[in-house]
Amino acid sequence: MKTAFLLATALLLAPMAARAADDHAPLRFVLIPKTVHPWFDKVNTGAQAAADLLGKTTGRKVEIEYRAPETADVSSQNDIIERAIATHPDGLILDLLDEKGNHATMLEAVDEKVPMTVFDSLPPEGMDITAVGADFCEQGTIAAQRLAGLIGEKGEVAIMIGVPTAPNHTRRAECERATFAKYPQIKVVATGIDNDSIETAQKQASAIMQAHPDLAGWVACDAAGPVGIGQAIRESGRTGKVREVGLDNLNDMIQLIRDGVADSSASSRPEMQGYWAVIAAWQRALGQKTPKYIDTGIDVLTRKNI
Amino acid sequence: MSLETTFPTTPPTPPRLPPLRRLAARCMRNPLGGVIAALVLIFGVSCLLSPHFLTGFNMMIMARALAFIGLVTIGQSILMILGELDLSVGAIGGLAGITGGMLMVQAGLNPWLSLVLCLLLGTACGMLNGVLITQLRLHSLVLTIGMAGVYGGAILVATKGVAITGVPVDISFLGRGLVYGVPVPFIVLLACLGVVAFVMVRTPVGRYVYAIGSNPEAARMLGLRVDAIRIAAFATAGFLSALAGILMVARLGTAQPSIGDTWVLAPIAAAVIGGVATTGGLGSPVGAVLGAVIIGIIENIIVLFGISPYWQSVVSGGIVVLAISFDSLARRYLHREA
Repeated sequence: MKTAFLLATALLLAPMAARAADDHAPLRFVLIPKTVHPWFDKVNTGAQAAADLLGKTTGRKVEIEYRAPETADVSSQNDIIERAIATHPDGLILDLLDEKGNHATMLEAVDEKVPMTVFDSLPPEGMDITAVGADFCEQGTIAAQRLAGLIGEKGEVAIMIGVPTAPNHTRRAECERATFAKYPQIKVVATGIDNDSIETAQKQASAIMQAHPDLAGWVACDAAGPVGIGQAIRESGRTGKVREVGLDNLNDMIQLIRDGVADSSASSRPEMQGYWAVIAAWQRALGQKTPKYIDTGIDVLTRKNI
Repeated sequence: MSLETTFPTTPPTPPRLPPLRRLAARCMRNPLGGVIAALVLIFGVSCLLSPHFLTGFNMMIMARALAFIGLVTIGQSILMILGELDLSVGAIGGLAGITGGMLMVQAGLNPWLSLVLCLLLGTACGMLNGVLITQLRLHSLVLTIGMAGVYGGAILVATKGVAITGVPVDISFLGRGLVYGVPVPFIVLLACLGVVAFVMVRTPVGRYVYAIGSNPEAARMLGLRVDAIRIAAFATAGFLSALAGILMVARLGTAQPSIGDTWVLAPIAAAVIGGVATTGGLGSPVGAVLGAVIIGIIENIIVLFGISPYWQSVVSGGIVVLAISFDSLARRYLHREA
């Protein structure tokens, strides 16, 4: 019985031991976003590009395992992170839903000696982890300021909040409100909640425009919201009358700008975030020091530059 | 032409079943046989397929993740045996967690007292569900959909969607602690399961629950206090959800408004896999928790294998449907053979 147990244990541990002994084994990074979403697919695209580049230039393959929680819920994300830690990857690349709620799980990664890099979010205080991303507040501010300019700094505007429990969405909303507050003749007359759903955003935007016929413009706080708003503007025949500045660079958003329904979009650069997160994780895996923050910047997408 | 009738002198021996069918028959005779057989199979396959599966760390995280969903599953399984459903259990867990965070952080109340108040709140929410269902003669499915909106909306009204941070570390042991390597939430789950299983098997109340679930009108005619038992069952489900909610707050160190969002369908699926009949009167909380273990292993192995997130739902949902279908077909087949 004892021999059988030892044999079974040896068989189970053999692949791990072989992997550890081989310095030329592929480097394996697990990329865990907030949830399943097209924006994170773009992050993954950038991450895969960086992995391909590193593999070709260094001769050592880099593998990215993309594992998204089905829902944007901290406990679900923690479960995914913990299960990823159990596989002892060479690095974790995380978009934290809430740095405080994720903290205990991240400490487990530290205990298991799995290096981490975060993107699109900030690490918990006191943890020496590189953060890659753009400033949410700056993104919201850019969108609100651009809309203020488009409507001549006066009139009624509305804000579409994404998921009210998502810190990045609420932060953008706060900064958009603060920006509009600087213009005495601009009034925020309505706030919708779309829960990151294009369909919900479309319904909410249609209802709000019915209730506020003098509405001059829209900003949003997530990637799905501005697409739904654009559809609502088009359906109501108010293209050009109600102005919209969107967020991010989903294909539908870009099409709305091309069609003239939306003016522009304040877009973080998801591909670049994925790319630089992998570069930072790779450096960490090799034991190199990495910068505290890598700012990938914000693009203002217009008909001229898309 | 003469008719010759012969009578056997010894009773005929039943035909010997093939080994696999014999095993299936043995499993099906035991109410927990099917789920235990499936669990052993899935566990064994997982051990063979992934070298990371049987590690101490992985077992620990699986046990901890099971604790939260397991507590909710116990409550939901009692209701399902009773022929009811509560779709607001997740929202009750979230509301209790948020209230706990507010009492501890914003009101500065003693963390342990806050914990007790949260459990009372969860129990009261469950009881309210039960009272409305029994007094207004509403279907539990319909009412609890509405109440899920009420409790979930109350969370957003109270928090504006923002997590409550700064939860005292006094209670963190409840969510993060280990006793001889076993997570504390898992120990809480085992304790609750032990109490509920005892009540369901060894006390008259448990027998009443099965009787009402099998035939509520007959139970009423026998003089059982059907409404009181229904209300008590909803209150128990509320209590267990609140316990899961407050343990999650202790685990995360913050009170997240999203706590409980994923606690609605998984416990129902777990209970069904564990042999609890959706029509009531059959099954056990122990089987339901074993069903939750199966779901937990499936979710774990999906991540260990690195299956695409877009396939995760298809795979886990498909396995659940397969398990339920297999169980149903096996029962029908064996019933026909008998």
